[in-house]
Amino acid sequence: MQHKRPPNSLILAALVLSIATYPRFARSQENGSAQDPSKPANEAKPASEIAKEAAPDLKQASSDEGKLATVNNAKIPSYSKVFVAPMMGGFENYIIAGLRNKKVPLTVVVDRSKAEYEISGVSESEKAGWAKMLFIGVQNSNEEASIKIAHLKTGAVIFGYSVHKTNSMRGRQSAGEACAKHIKQIVIE
Amino acid sequence: MANRRMVSMAFFLIAAAVTAAQAGEKNAAPSQKIPKGAKVFVAPIAEGFDSFLKDAIAKKKVPVEITPNRDQADYEITGTADTQKASTAKKLIMGNWHSREEASITLSNIKSGEVVWAYSVHQEASTHGKRSSAESCAKHLKDAIEGQ
Repeated sequence: MQHKRPPNSLILAALVLSIATYPRFARSQENGSAQDPSKPANEAKPASEIAKEAAPDLKQASSDEGKLATVNNAKIPSYSKVFVAPMMGGFENYIIAGLRNKKVPLTVVVDRSKAEYEISGVSESEKAGWAKMLFIGVQNSNEEASIKIAHLKTGAVIFGYSVHKTNSMRGRQSAGEACAKHIKQIVIE
Repeated sequence: MANRRMVSMAFFLIAAAVTAAQAGEKNAAPSQKIPKGAKVFVAPIAEGFDSFLKDAIAKKKVPVEITPNRDQADYEITGTADTQKASTAKKLIMGNWHSREEASITLSNIKSGEVVWAYSVHQEASTHGKRSSAESCAKHLKDAIEGQ
């Protein structure tokens, strides 16, 4: 009876592969992501279940005008490729302009398949009515926006932020810049 | 002899793998330079803002070439614009006849798909309506190209 031993080249290849993939594994452990990177997190799971799983990890922090939530202090590596999904009223353009204005070190791409992260959300603008102008003497609009950042590979939402600006001096531009300013906080520079 | 060769090969492979893994951890900063004379396609924008933008680019002498065909272009301008005419309340109570203008544009490299420049403008009382906001966008685009 002869025992067949695996060839040396196979052992070598396995060793090389394990060394090459170790830093990524360690990084995902640091970020607190307990999900298997090879499997998409939302595979065969309804959206409500995903939301339930993500919710306990969300840490909230209130800022001057908005609310910020990050999952286990998740961070985005600088110059990661980010896709900004279309939003109502073209708000995605204001976010991109805000990212540039606030010098956020991220690379915005127009093709979702090339991106590592996705920014999506909603926004609403309420123009000043006659009563506001008459009684308060203000013609500035009220702005509301809420965004989230999801890691496209795992499907995990790692960041959320909502902003409400009463009498916004620069309308949607202000809301877009507020979002960008808070995104900058979770980007590793 | 064969064993020694195997060991040296393994060492080389491990070193290469570690280097590749470390390089993959950090993303490189993109080169966001817009060359002078670049061919730019202006995509249709709401309320015909693209026409105002093309006029403004010509008026402000922005060093780019506008092409009507996207296939011939290196860069693409997309965006959104919103105009709100002065309401009766604004005219009577605030004494302001001017419109409220908002616009935001992004310039992306068609080949790489990266956004290389973006700008947003808000004018609460715009004297010349969309023309003012389009000229503001063109002026800042010119500054971005020439200030590199």
